[in-house]
Amino acid sequence: MARICGEERSKWRADRWVRLSAEHRADHVWGAIVERARAEGTDPSLRHVLHACAAAVGAAGCGLSMVGATGAREPVLAVGEYCDELEELQFTLGQGPGVDAAAGDGVVLVPDLAAGSAVRRWPVFAPAATDRGVRGLFAFPVAAGAARVGVLDVYRRDPGALDAVRLATALAFADAVLVVVLDESGGIAGGPDHRRDAILPERLAEVHQAAGMVSVQLGVEVSEALVRLRAYAYVHERRLADVAAEVVARRLRFAPDRRGTDDTAIGSEMMDAPPNSDQDRPEGGA
Amino acid sequence: MSTTDRRVRETFVELADTLVDDYDVLGFLDLLAHRVVELIDVDACGVVLIDHHGTLNLVAASSEETRMLELSQLQNSEGPCLDTFGTGRRVSMVDLVAGGDERWPRFAPAARGAGFAAVYALPMRLRDAVLGAMNLFGREPGPLADESLALGQALADVATIGILHERTARQHEVVAGQLQSALDSRILVEQAKGVLAERLSISVDDAFALLRGHARSTNSKLRDVAAAVVDGTITDVRRT
Repeated sequence: MARICGEERSKWRADRWVRLSAEHRADHVWGAIVERARAEGTDPSLRHVLHACAAAVGAAGCGLSMVGATGAREPVLAVGEYCDELEELQFTLGQGPGVDAAAGDGVVLVPDLAAGSAVRRWPVFAPAATDRGVRGLFAFPVAAGAARVGVLDVYRRDPGALDAVRLATALAFADAVLVVVLDESGGIAGGPDHRRDAILPERLAEVHQAAGMVSVQLGVEVSEALVRLRAYAYVHERRLADVAAEVVARRLRFAPDRRGTDDTAIGSEMMDAPPNSDQDRPEGGA
Repeated sequence: MSTTDRRVRETFVELADTLVDDYDVLGFLDLLAHRVVELIDVDACGVVLIDHHGTLNLVAASSEETRMLELSQLQNSEGPCLDTFGTGRRVSMVDLVAGGDERWPRFAPAARGAGFAAVYALPMRLRDAVLGAMNLFGREPGPLADESLALGQALADVATIGILHERTARQHEVVAGQLQSALDSRILVEQAKGVLAERLSISVDDAFALLRGHARSTNSKLRDVAAAVVDGTITDVRRT
């Protein structure tokens, strides 16, 4: 095995420290987002998340692309000089780290877009970014399993890898983006407190088992099922983890809304509730 | 050579054989967890990884998925895996009745309630970092033989290699990417368990058994089978 150089060793020590203290990372992430929103006197939005992310990881800017109503991915938001232009360019060309991350390559980390390997991989995009003074580009899927809603691109002016702290922070911001996107989609303009508690349960196995079950009950995609679960928990002022446990234990089902009008996605309540009319009757998904 | 020695050898060969290009990380860890229980005198094994939030995530288990999930999640506040993660050293609790409650007032009763009397956590180390732990559970109290623990640690090291594709894992960003990918695959599997459990009106544990069986019988990756179940490409998953 190759010897490990001193620099790498110190990175690893840092990494371990980072992870040991990482339980508080979600708090820091939400704290930074809320601070920005408060300064403007508004609720936290995706724009605040992107600004806070750029500041936290020492980036020139961030871009977010998402799968739109048409099913195609499109740039939705960018902060920082040239970032919206570069987001558009990745799309126009169908080329770039964000495009690859969306295509299922997972996290795509490019410390130097001027490097030969980057230019070979993205022959038009990489030089275009370098021309605009962007050397580092780090693309993080905004996703949880099958719920793949978009990609967060982090643009940096100087070449160089993200250190372990910043890398972990960027991953935590990608999770924050996912939570905000799901909640906006579910019509929850919820306060930060609700989300601050909610970010860690996103990692719970039961939440995802429940999302799979609800996706079948409602005949929707897993991402939509997550939206409905979060909305239900919010409306009923319950913890997401508890709602998920009820679903997995089959004490709570979600029923497709007959009127087709959307909203609160209330299922029938308990399975053993008196089944009066078929109105309330639980029904399996399509 | 004893039967056990031969079996150990076969296992290492079997595991090495699965480490080809573009292999199935979850399938590999699943196989490993099952072999650990066969080769070492323990009754259950879970493989736990740590994510960027510092949360412990179960990525593979020898049995009783749901129960192992509960015991893993509990260890986010206390327990042998959290301890081994903090120190980088092996943690042994050979009698959960005698010494467990004092050390882990919540975890110990839960583990006993699940029928376990002894618990071990072996660190999954990469140089100075601990990426996760192999969690071993025994139904009977009493220490494991030194050589069993040594074999367990060797298998934990193999698990680390399996996750990190050792040859390429020189840099922290590569490691982070691969950890992320393994954890995301696991989330996908949880979602697929839910989809299947609902479609077939079975428990999530039974759903996982079907997923695993389908992956094995069709020689596919667990992740790919899970993805196909969720997006509806595979509708007929039956144990073969």
